Amino acid sequence: MTDVLNPPAATLDAAQPAWGKYDQAAAPPHRSALFVPASNAAMLATAWVYGADLYMFDLEDAVALREKDSARLLAINALTSYPWRDMAVAVRVNGIDTPFFADDLQAVVRAGADMVRLPMTDSAELVHRLDAELTAIERACSRPVGSTKVIAAIESAAGVVNASAIALASPRVVAIALAGFDYLLDMGAEPTQDGSELFYARCAVLHAARAAGVWCYDVVWGDVDDEAGFRAEVELVKHLGFDGKTLVNPRQIPWLHEAYSPTAAELARAERVVRAAEAARDRGLGVIAVDGKMVDGPIVQAARRAIAYAAASGVREDR
Amino acid sequence: MDDIVITSWAPGSDPVDPVDQAVPAAVAGLLERAGLGLEADVEVWALARRDGRLVGCMGLAGDLVKDVVVDQGLRGHNLMAGLLTELRHQAVARGRTRLSCYTRPSLAAVFASLGFRALAQADGLAVLMEDDPRGVERYQADLAASRREGERIAAVVLNANPFSLGHQHLLRLAARDCDLVHVFVLGEDRSQFSPAERFALVRDGLAALPEHDRFVLHPGSRYIVSRLTFPQYFLKDQADIARAHAGIDLQLFRQRVAPVLGIRHRFVGSEPTSRITAHYNQEMRRWLQSPQADWPTIEVHQVERLEVGGRPVSATRVRQALAAGRFDQLAELVPATTWDYLVRRPPRAEPAPLGPPAPPRRQGGRSQPPDDHRQAKELSC
Amino acid sequence: MLISRPAVAGTLESGDATVRITPHDSLEVVVTSSVEAQYGDAVRRVVRQTLEGLGVARALVTVTDKGALDYALRARVEAAVMRAGDEPVDWDVLIGGER
Repeated sequence: MTDVLNPPAATLDAAQPAWGKYDQAAAPPHRSALFVPASNAAMLATAWVYGADLYMFDLEDAVALREKDSARLLAINALTSYPWRDMAVAVRVNGIDTPFFADDLQAVVRAGADMVRLPMTDSAELVHRLDAELTAIERACSRPVGSTKVIAAIESAAGVVNASAIALASPRVVAIALAGFDYLLDMGAEPTQDGSELFYARCAVLHAARAAGVWCYDVVWGDVDDEAGFRAEVELVKHLGFDGKTLVNPRQIPWLHEAYSPTAAELARAERVVRAAEAARDRGLGVIAVDGKMVDGPIVQAARRAIAYAAASGVREDR
Repeated sequence: MDDIVITSWAPGSDPVDPVDQAVPAAVAGLLERAGLGLEADVEVWALARRDGRLVGCMGLAGDLVKDVVVDQGLRGHNLMAGLLTELRHQAVARGRTRLSCYTRPSLAAVFASLGFRALAQADGLAVLMEDDPRGVERYQADLAASRREGERIAAVVLNANPFSLGHQHLLRLAARDCDLVHVFVLGEDRSQFSPAERFALVRDGLAALPEHDRFVLHPGSRYIVSRLTFPQYFLKDQADIARAHAGIDLQLFRQRVAPVLGIRHRFVGSEPTSRITAHYNQEMRRWLQSPQADWPTIEVHQVERLEVGGRPVSATRVRQALAAGRFDQLAELVPATTWDYLVRRPPRAEPAPLGPPAPPRRQGGRSQPPDDHRQAKELSC
Repeated sequence: MLISRPAVAGTLESGDATVRITPHDSLEVVVTSSVEAQYGDAVRRVVRQTLEGLGVARALVTVTDKGALDYALRARVEAAVMRAGDEPVDWDVLIGGER
């Protein structure tokens, strides 16, 4: 499997949970995390061409009870085969208290899944349990301990309240993802046009992610035909600071990526920032300057991200 | 198939929610719009819904796929594939691994794309298909194990519901005329007597005959089609149904069964009363005796019915006498082996005969051991 | 692995395969494929290799292939075999070694 999650410079250090845990500017973008039903052979055969930043094989909601076993087998056969074995793939397993969880975990860790997405992560304690299980399986199959990463899905009021502890619960946690459907049920909230019912959860989860130095994915946008609604929501969450969104339909990938792409002017500015940073480094200067103004670390990182987005999806029209 | 939901529904199961409660009417409506009726023998339905509306259905009766309706507007959605996948799960859960279907020739290509293979087609009316690509060959290999050589090899196909002197008469005439007679007892389970009972009665009736070593007995198979199980749902006209059944059954016999055993003669009783059977016998000449490049002709021999008391002996007459408890009349219509069995037989669907009659011994024959009934049940047909 | 009951796995969607398995006195594999001309033999090979890997020596295996990739075929055969037998899944056997 590729090592996008562990660029050579990165070190795993639970004591230092910061942006440095993964050099996010050096990693490929994590805008789009697309669910692919693991029961669907046809989708597995073609989904890799859609250009999502991350694919998540789904063993949970998208799979009927009767097909839990066959979806698991299809997922692991796909994970170990071209082209998936050369791509970063997460697998959404069934919940930790379901009868499918143990086999799901055994199968996908052994098959080399890069990440496990845990549904209904309500507390850090669940992450600890998952961590211990992963360690045991990794040992049993001679996979490096700690190499299976975790995306914790936050789907309840408790999960939102505990988001920070969850994000910090294990160095395996590389991302947290807000899942809206169950959260709204739990809250007794109802969807609104502007998404105000998700406002607190988005902010809370995002703060937890940023403080822990992990990626953060926003909720699924259900109505595939409502392109305008999707784009408006993407603008909102992008400005809040989300890395991207969980998706269930590949049609939304280009819309999402376009929103995250810089304009030509933004790209030019980002390139100047990065050139200046590299020049300063080469000359051993402690201060980076662009147009006579001092530029600090986060701006350089943002510039690197913009360049990476442009490299992945080009630039967007200035609007 | 994003927005299409495939489920199943077994008639008679308790409807759990309002959607389920509406299913019977919805299925009936869908079938009616397609010019079909809700058939009572369907055990389970695969259903396709879109936005809560029923857009497709497919029924399972035994190992037959039937009553297939798919919304014309949704042809591109591969509804048939989804329905069949669901129905296969239902079939396997009931221990059935091979499915077959009779369908309009226009749907044969769709079924072929789903793994079905056409076995026989009749006059553009109906195609018999099955989803086991080597099923016929396996059956033929089994059949070949009972092949015996001979100059004149004949076949008789009967339901024997139950085995009567009429059947015995027909079989003896065939045995006198030929070296070998292959006897096929239909395997359908819709008659008063079960397939195992009917098979055992024929077996025991033949064992008592002097020509017994000329008979080779075969249980029914899916390749010998009883009219009782021939589905009629997509054919409206009774004459079409009769033609379709005869065409498919007789082609299977000529092409798949007869060559394996070297059968070149088929014996059949004359049919003075039933128009349908008379028609079938007529069709027999057409399908078996017409020259075909790949398949040898099979000569049809129609034998006059045995008469008792001035009337032909038929299984119907036997069952009437049995229902009336007239064991004295029965003794004139069935061989001793059958009579012994009927006397001891626990009642199946009809009221028990009144009082035990005195056993007649008009015909010499061995009497059944008391546990023969159980043995017969264990025979798989 | 002993096949003790009939089982089915997979679908008839394009890119998938339906695998049916029943107890049988020998190993018989029957394949019909929508891509028979180009890939029929490859499909049969993958099915047989998968059965061999699982130690299935006696079964009638009927495959209706709709253009499934090799890994999907393997997965469908494995699922059918698991459903038809009584042995728990040994993930070491299933995932061990080069695929």
